[in-house]
This record gives sequence, structure tokens and C-alpha cells, in this order.
Amino acid sequence: MIGIVDYGAGNLASVHNAFERIGEHSEIFEDSKLIDKYDRIVLPGVGSFSRAMHLLTSKGWKEAILNHINDKKPFLGICLGMQILFESGDEKGPCEGLGVIKGKVKLLNPSSYLKIPHVGWNNLLPSKEHPVMEGIKENIDFYFVHSYRCIPESKKVILSECDYGGKFVSSVSKDNVIGMQFHPEKSQPVGLKILKNFSNWDGKC
Amino acid sequence: MLKKRIIPVLLLKDKRMVKGKKFKDFKDTGEPKTAVRIYSAQDADELVFLDIDNNSSSLGNLIEIVKQASEECFMPLAAGGGISDINQVRELLKAGADKIVVNTSCVKNPSLIKEISKEFGEQCVIGSIDYKISNNLREVWIKSGKLNTNLDPLEHAKNLIKLGAGEILLNSIDRDGMMEGYDLEYADKVSREINVPLIVCGGAGNYMHLADLLNNTSISAAACASLFHFGDNNPIRARSYLKNLDIPMRMLK
Amino acid sequence: MKNNKKIPVLRCCSKCGLPETYETIEFDEKDVCNICRSAEYKNESIDWVERKKLLDALIEKHRGKSDYDCIIPFSGGKDSTFQLFYLVKEYNIKPLVVRFNHGFMRETIQKNNERTFKKLGVDVIDFTPNWHTVKKLMFESFNRKTDFCWHCHTGIYSYPLRVALLHKVPLVFWGEAQADITGYYDHLNDEIEYEDDKKFNMLRTLGITAEDMHGMIDSPEDPVDLRDLIPYTFPPVKELIKLGYCSVPLGSFIPWDYKKNTEIIKRELGWEIDELEGVPTEINPHGEKIECFMQGTRDYIKFIKRGYSRVAQINAFDVRSNRLSTSEAKKLSEKYDGRKPPSLEIFLEYMGLSEEEFNKIVKGMAIPPYDHDFDAKGDAPRVWDFDQWYREDNRKK
Repeated sequence: MIGIVDYGAGNLASVHNAFERIGEHSEIFEDSKLIDKYDRIVLPGVGSFSRAMHLLTSKGWKEAILNHINDKKPFLGICLGMQILFESGDEKGPCEGLGVIKGKVKLLNPSSYLKIPHVGWNNLLPSKEHPVMEGIKENIDFYFVHSYRCIPESKKVILSECDYGGKFVSSVSKDNVIGMQFHPEKSQPVGLKILKNFSNWDGKC
Repeated sequence: MLKKRIIPVLLLKDKRMVKGKKFKDFKDTGEPKTAVRIYSAQDADELVFLDIDNNSSSLGNLIEIVKQASEECFMPLAAGGGISDINQVRELLKAGADKIVVNTSCVKNPSLIKEISKEFGEQCVIGSIDYKISNNLREVWIKSGKLNTNLDPLEHAKNLIKLGAGEILLNSIDRDGMMEGYDLEYADKVSREINVPLIVCGGAGNYMHLADLLNNTSISAAACASLFHFGDNNPIRARSYLKNLDIPMRMLK
Repeated sequence: MKNNKKIPVLRCCSKCGLPETYETIEFDEKDVCNICRSAEYKNESIDWVERKKLLDALIEKHRGKSDYDCIIPFSGGKDSTFQLFYLVKEYNIKPLVVRFNHGFMRETIQKNNERTFKKLGVDVIDFTPNWHTVKKLMFESFNRKTDFCWHCHTGIYSYPLRVALLHKVPLVFWGEAQADITGYYDHLNDEIEYEDDKKFNMLRTLGITAEDMHGMIDSPEDPVDLRDLIPYTFPPVKELIKLGYCSVPLGSFIPWDYKKNTEIIKRELGWEIDELEGVPTEINPHGEKIECFMQGTRDYIKFIKRGYSRVAQINAFDVRSNRLSTSEAKKLSEKYDGRKPPSLEIFLEYMGLSEEEFNKIVKGMAIPPYDHDFDAKGDAPRVWDFDQWYREDNRKK
């Protein structure tokens, strides 16, 4: 059973509907103590890093999520849900993240004429293979909407990059954790394929 | 690289879709629920739903459409029309909208933009600007094109961005529904002077109009309605046509 | 022939010759189009042996489980006649043949069908929708899309599925794969196409569903019963899924070859070709599109909007199957396409439109850069059965 974390900062309905569409049962849950019920967890996120971290910490999610990850169960962070996996974010001053992946989150800094936020369809530039990305061809576009980007300390966690006036990291993976800057639940057939792959993933890579 | 977007706009009135010319003389263009299925089947880049009734029950209709869209299509959805308080925003987001389109309130209650972007993020707010030309001056009109604010659209856009709008939707009332092309020069000018993505609306009648707009490197998206309602056109064909003109469009397969 | 205006030269596929105004066409760096590339893949890389095994398994899965083994939607054209023949002869199945009568059937086709049904021995359901409703639908879809065949597109792809639900027959076989014709589907994806709700909404409806259409044509002065639109309404997907429906084109399982198919049905069923408005018979020996007497007007509309028509399309298939060279195809298309058909008069009468009104509406929806010159081409000759076609003059006196 897939658990979708409701901590007050995510477009949960879309994620849930997407799993329903591909025939996978998912539940949105607010009580962090129930996290053990789920064999895999999705952490969506829209809004600001600091607000998300405040909500996660105040509702006991930080510990619950870290325990789930330490138990080697599959974990997917989407958009802001990927960014808060890192050690720190940068809006309005530094803010601590979950620290699951070493590195920080900073404002996108594309070359001059490009706009922020990075909104729309862009393609992934794969850095390594991963079961969750199986069957996804390189030139296919996914939906992005974000102003910040993740800068991991180690290149080993980079699963794919993306070009927007320079390359930035569009997805990361570390053991049983995978993070996507783009929104698979908004990327139609190809996004649904990734969610299907995640549903079947055993957490190993 | 980031691709250009083609965004169908669905105007909602009395539980149907409509399309007019210069914001008047609306003609029935179908049932929104089945339109959603069609655009979903055609893998539209994004959808914008605008309620032009703006009465007490029409928000409920809008929420219902957004909810159904969110259950059936997995693409970005923007919704708006008479949005005046944060609770309406919350309801639409809960129903499945990703972005809220704010137009009249941008002028009547600009702090709403700040409120939305603070709680939900800048990417959640599209600042929508309708404008008309009179005496060679472009001015912002609100209340579905009924009230002149005398504001300059570009300055207004800059203010909205300061308040927290993540995208700007610029709509020419004069060109709305006329299918004679976009207000290109002005759109280009606005796009060069703002640092958030610009969606341009009003005037698309054929694919060449889209090409003329999107060939400009800084405009992010072309919004259209008449193009699809009153032409033998659809988003898939539009993408192929524009790809042949070397305009970067979304790849699905 | 007058030719005073300079008609813009269209970019065309360097192989099949179809122009940039063809729906979903995309050119690669060699100016070869996506449909040609798809055809190459179809001929060279698809494992048709494997696909045939899938077909065998599919048929056995459903054989004997319902009143009929499958539904076969049927127009009487070369494709549906072949698909019926093939399935009956190759698999000895018991099909229910379902024919949606668009209202423009021709004598040769009717005779072909009678012969086909009697030679093969099959049950047939023939449905003819309400002509009053059809006229309204034609008018509305012509005005909004310059395609008056909405009733036909939606009826043909909805009605047989209704019959499938009624008789509880999940398996439905169509003819050619869409990947053979346009870029909506692509053989390079190496997958079975499904004739499902997604495909219906994507490309069969012209962007207008029956629910849309009802609101568009219903008025207090001339009310339309919602039930009149049932034949054009895709059945509820939940019910189809519950039935376990599997609606597929035969062309996803066997390599579709129009010419070969037609030779077979000519030989085995005595299937006869017919004249086609605007297309010399020597260019159309396999009887493309002979099942509808409005085809000439459909093709004419296409030319006004897009600068190519039926001859170019037939030639494109022939070029892809190496039966015609690119240059020969171009010569023939330029010589014959775009002539005004006699059936236009009938269409204008049905719709109560003048030719000036028609020209204005159609040209208004042209795909740029094509710019049609109404004086550039002449008239196509009448075909032999023109006088048999139903007439109804609704123009103001």
C-alpha cells in the first residue's frame, strides 16, 4: 500500500488520482504515527522550503520519515518533497532540511533571458540507470514548476539532470530513496509510467 | 531545453463552455466535462478554466469541473474567475487545481496575491491581465472587460510580480475571438521586460499565429480557445506543425 | 485553367510527397515524414510472427464465450471487407457484422456487401440514423470544423461498441491501424493500438462529443432530443471495462497491405471497385473510399484547406510500398487533385448554402501557408451513379 504524506503542503489529490489511474491503491494520511502501515511512501510538496519543514517538524513527520527510510522501504519525494530531502534550503535565509541527501537547495540561476520559475515541459538527461526510470526515453518531456534547484554534494546521487540555461539536477536516487524535481503526476502517460515503476520497485538499485 | 506550451482556455458559463468575440456575443462551445476528456486524450500541455459567471453557484461549478479534470487528466490545471478570497483558493487547490488565475482581484485586492503566494508559493499564482486599446493606449480592464482601470498593463504586470505572481497571463480583449493573430509586438515588449513566464492570449486563429508568437524566444506559452473551437485544429496537430518550424514543442513518445 | 495567383509552395515529404498541412505530419532532417518512417519500421522491424500469435491467442480467448465471437464494424469498403473475410476464413469465427449507415451509400457497395455477406454467411446488423438529426449534425460540424462527417466518425466508432455491450461481446475488430495513416499513432512504438475512449476522444470526435453537440444544436425554436445523439455517444467506459472489452485494429496484428488485401477480396468475394469523384480509376484500382457518395466533396474541402487531396493520399501509400516514385506521385497529384466535384451541388442543397458561402467558410479554416485559388483547377467529371444519389434542396428559393 502506498502512503501519501499529508503535512499541509502538497497537491495530494493529483498524486492519489494518478495512482488510482494506474490501478495502484494509495492512501493520503495525516497522522505520522501511521507511517508503518505503508510499504512505500510518497512525499509531495508545493510552496516554500521553510514552511514545509516547519509543518513536517511540528507534526512529527521528520522522525517518521527518517525511520521509514532507515527501514529501507521505497520513498519518493516530488518537487519540494525532493528538495527537503537535502540538508538545507535557501529562501529568506538558510533553513534545515531532512538531511537524507548531502547537499543544499538554492535558487535557480539560468542564463539571462530565461524566466523564473522554471515552468513547463522539459526533458531529463539521465546520468545513471534506475528501475523507476525504466522505459523512459531521453527526449521525453516532463512537467516542471519550481524556482529552486538541488545541488548534491556527491555526483553519485544524481539520477538525471535537465537543461534550463545550464544544467540542474532533475532527479536523485540514494538507496531506497528517489527524488524528482518534476511532477510525474502531472506528466500524463510518461509520468504515470514512472509512478507505476515506483509502485513495483523493491527499493534496491 | 524548456519547450513552448500551447494552453487551451475553457470559459465556463451556466455549466457549459462558451466563446465570444471581444468578450461579447458568446457562443456555446460544449460541455466542459467531455472537453476535459478530449484535451486529456490529446495530451494538452496544460488547461485553464475560467468561470465567467462569477456568481454564488458558479464557483461550485468550477470546483466540480476541476475535480473531475483532476481525476481524469494528469496535466497541469489552472482555474480562476472571480477569485476574491483565500478560502476559494484553498477549495480550488483541494479540488486539484495547480494554479489559481486572479484577474479583477489583482486590482481590487492586490494583497490576495501576496496571501496566496505566501501560503502556496509563487508558482501557484497566475496574474491575469485583460487589456484594451483606446486612443492608442493600452489599458487594463477588469470585471470581464467591463471596467476600465486606466492602468498600464506592463506596469501592472510588474506590480503583480512584486506581489508574488509566478506567471502572467496577458489577454488582448480587442483580439479576443477575432482569430486574426496575437498582439505580437506588445506581447514581445512585455515579455522582454518581465522576469516571470508570460502566457499570451487573444487572437489565435491558425497555427501560423502560434508560430509567430512562439518564435519570439522569451514568450513561454500561447493560450487559445477559438483556434480549437472554430477550426479543424487540435493540440496534437498544432505541436507537429510547430515542430516543423523548429519551435521546441513537447515530446511525448 | 486560370492561374493568376501565386500559390505558396508547400514543404512536402521528400518520399511520399504529403505536405506540411497534412495533419500530424512531421519532417526529419532528411525531410522524410514521420508516417513514412513509421511505414519503414512496420515493414522492417515489427515481429509480425509474434503479433500473429497474439491474434491467435486473442481469438481463442473469446471464441464461443458469447453469442458471437466478435463484433466486426463494417462499411463495405476494401478494408472492412478484407477484415471480415480474413477473420472468417483464417479463424472460422462467428462474428456479428455491424454496419453504421452514414446515409451516402452507393449501389456498387450495396451489391458488394450483399455478395460478401451471402458468400461468407454472417449475421449482420445495419443501423441507419435519423436523417433530420444527421442534417443538423452535418451543418453544425461543417460550420465549426469544415468537416461535415462528424456523425459518421462518431457513429462508426461508437455504435458498434453499443452493440458489443448489448450482446455482451467484448472483442471488436477494426481494420487498418491509424499508424498507417497519421502520426497520432506510430509503428515505432511497437505496440498494439486500441480503439478505446482515448482514441475516440483524441481523433474521432473532431474535438466535439455528443454532449457538446447537443447543446450546440438544441434551441427553443428547434429542440433536439438528447436521445437522438445516442448513436454518436461513446458508451460508458465503466461498462465497457466491466465487459472486458478489447477493441483493436486487425492492422496491429497483421501487416496491412491495401493492394494485396483488395486483390484477395476481388478474387475471393467478387468485390468490385467503383469510380471515385475526382480520382481517375487507373490511380485507384484498389477502390479507396468508394463507399460514400459525399467523398468527392470531402476531398474537395480538404484541398481548399490544405492544398492536397485524395490522389496525393493514394499516391503516398503507393510510394511507401514502392509501387510509385516520388516524382510520378507529384505529377499525378498536381494534375488531378483539387477539381470541384459534382457532389458539391448535392451537399450545398442539403445544407441550404450557396457556393460563395461554402467557399468562404472553408477557406476561412485553411491551414497556413496554403492559400487556395478557386480559379486554378477545373471541375471533376460526374461518376456513373450520380443520378441515383439522394437529393434534397434546402436552399432558400
